[in-house]
Amino acid sequence: MSFQVSDNEGGTRMTDPRPAYVDPRTVGRRGFLKVAGAGVASASLLTMLDARQAPAQIKGTSLRMLKWSHYVPAYDVWFDDFAKKWGEKTGVKVRVDHIPHLELPARYAAEFAAGAGHDLIYFVGQILTGQYYRNLIDLSDVADNLGKKYGGWLESSKSAGQVGGTWFAIPDFFISIPVLYRKDLFASVGMGEPKTWDDLRNAARQLKPKGHPTGMQFSHCNDANHNWRALMYCFGVKETDPSGQNIALDGKEMRESLRFAKALYDEGMTPEVFSWDDASDNRFLASGVGSWIHDAISAFHSTRITNPKVFADTFCIPEVAGPAGLKWNVGEPNVWAIWKFSKNIPAAKEFIQHIADNQKEAMEASLGYNMPFLKEQYKKPMPYLGKDAKLSTLQDQEKINAFFGHPGPMTPAAQEVLTTFIIPDMFTRVARGADIEDTMKWGVGEIRRIYAKHKG
Amino acid sequence: MGVQTWWRTPTARRYLFGYTLLAPAVLYVSLLVGVPFAFSLYLSMSDASVGNPVARFVGLENFKAALENATFYTAVRNTLVFTVGAGILKGLLGTTLAFLLLQPFKGRKVVRALLVIPFTLPIAVSVLGWKWMFDSQFSVINWALSRLQLIGAYGSPDWPVWLGQPGLALFSVMFVNVWRGFPFSAIVLLAGLTSVPPEIIDAAKVDGTTFMQRFRLVIVPMIAPILFIGSAFDTVFTLSDLSIVYLLTNGGPDAATEILPTLAYNTGIRAGALGRGAAISLFLFPLLLPAMILLLRTLRRRQY
Repeated sequence: MSFQVSDNEGGTRMTDPRPAYVDPRTVGRRGFLKVAGAGVASASLLTMLDARQAPAQIKGTSLRMLKWSHYVPAYDVWFDDFAKKWGEKTGVKVRVDHIPHLELPARYAAEFAAGAGHDLIYFVGQILTGQYYRNLIDLSDVADNLGKKYGGWLESSKSAGQVGGTWFAIPDFFISIPVLYRKDLFASVGMGEPKTWDDLRNAARQLKPKGHPTGMQFSHCNDANHNWRALMYCFGVKETDPSGQNIALDGKEMRESLRFAKALYDEGMTPEVFSWDDASDNRFLASGVGSWIHDAISAFHSTRITNPKVFADTFCIPEVAGPAGLKWNVGEPNVWAIWKFSKNIPAAKEFIQHIADNQKEAMEASLGYNMPFLKEQYKKPMPYLGKDAKLSTLQDQEKINAFFGHPGPMTPAAQEVLTTFIIPDMFTRVARGADIEDTMKWGVGEIRRIYAKHKG
Repeated sequence: MGVQTWWRTPTARRYLFGYTLLAPAVLYVSLLVGVPFAFSLYLSMSDASVGNPVARFVGLENFKAALENATFYTAVRNTLVFTVGAGILKGLLGTTLAFLLLQPFKGRKVVRALLVIPFTLPIAVSVLGWKWMFDSQFSVINWALSRLQLIGAYGSPDWPVWLGQPGLALFSVMFVNVWRGFPFSAIVLLAGLTSVPPEIIDAAKVDGTTFMQRFRLVIVPMIAPILFIGSAFDTVFTLSDLSIVYLLTNGGPDAATEILPTLAYNTGIRAGALGRGAAISLFLFPLLLPAMILLLRTLRRRQY
């Protein structure tokens, strides 16, 4: 007999505090003791989790975790120290490895093939929860506890952490990709704060002849994947249906967004955008040339350091609206996961809880970069963002947050569409003069082929 | 006495001894080359993914999927252009450099040592250096050309976007491969050239040959084995070179620099479709095999 109860999504939770309904006629003395014992153990664990006392069993163990090298180097310094202090407090020997985020997928493939590696792992941008969930431990107990404690999870967090309603990863934070614009340049053409993509296009059209074009990557880099999807979703494009199983891209909204991008490129950009990497737009803004960019706030911070004059006139807005008033910002999710072959599952789970409990400190250390996934952590004023007049606009970012595959989850098929850069390539083709219908035929065909493979 | 068993005959013993001596080499090659190759074949005919250890046999389905992908053909074309183009440039530059380094001049040893730097630098470091030099806004090459008034200023229509214009982007990644590889070609050639006895060259000179005649009719035939081995290595390395394209353009924009190794990596590892990734990478095999057979057969003929 096991102590399991159904949750409202039809799954089961081993540590659900609610008493299981047990038919008294079927319970014997031993059965009663088992049920009662399990109930007491679960209640104790939950009490311990609530009080954040590390279980004694992890003392004297070691925990190896793998993370990426954060865009804000100071955050990594803070994180390493944070992990070290937690290790000292709990008696766990902690080792944190940082590698560039693009190398993570290859590393995980190797760890999985070897059946050995880090005890606690991390997915960033490319969310591999759907790929590896059969080999990851069920973290529903941790997710439920955190959700209960912090007012629930954002809707988008399910896409990052769940497969089939079960939490196989715990969302840590997401990176928001807002609009950064030059207030002085916009004012010079009689414009105020941009509210819509049309406003951005108008500004670029007027400012390009004055030597201040705009730019979004038409290349094979992360930002190209985020930015064009943000435009698409604001134009009402749905990449898949909510189940994530069927593509829904082939509609007039997608054609409209391609048409808009072509106009935006012709009127407001220069060919350099075809060669840009993730940092090119940062430099473009900091150089004083760019009138606006669509990028993470690293561009904001780097401009602060490299060009204070330009920085003084650089402002930030969460996103601009599409023709029907829709606003979606496509962020970069970061999640924790634990291999089934992890040698220290209890310590790994404990650490995930600990970092979630210290999200405020993490957000401060990341200079407002790390946007939380838990609703209560959006209480204003938010750490760092709340204190910065320009960045305080991002405190409502949770309302417009979406990820690739939207409105469906980040499935392995959506992941393949992302990593093969089909969406940026569609925009590139149209910007370079290809016929929209031909481009749709090619792009949708490629995407259909990928989804068919994953279904088969 | 009874009939002598076959394995005790001198011939059998000789064979046995020979094969025993050969066995470690066969085992070594089988483990290092045969097993990974067989594993690639297995993956390419399965629906293996990075997260699913239980793979189904799908026959030639993954090869069919690659052939249905329009980007695949672009990648094959780019791979051939990249390999052949870079090979020719490395051959020309390497030969020129080798002859220059053969001449006596002050500091020749230092120059020879410095030449290997591109080849010995960690590829990530050197490619990032080139990425900066090809930057769309701050390219030192463009700024130099602009100062020399060979191109306009930043923002003008003739300002080259090295990694953004399709033809230029492929040329740029090829150029970095050449920059990295031609010192190796030069060193291989230099080793060959120094092994040619000077009296043969002198005799050819006395016979009134020109430099090109000596090179074509005397030097090349003599150093042919070295040239073939060098070419074979270079072809293999260039054809399977992932790092330069991955770091500079990741195959973009719009597959302008997509080559088979980047397509295989992005499909097999980043997207997790191991089976399809393996199938794409195995298309390198029929490209390489004829080149290798041709080179090795020519080499063998010349040895007799």
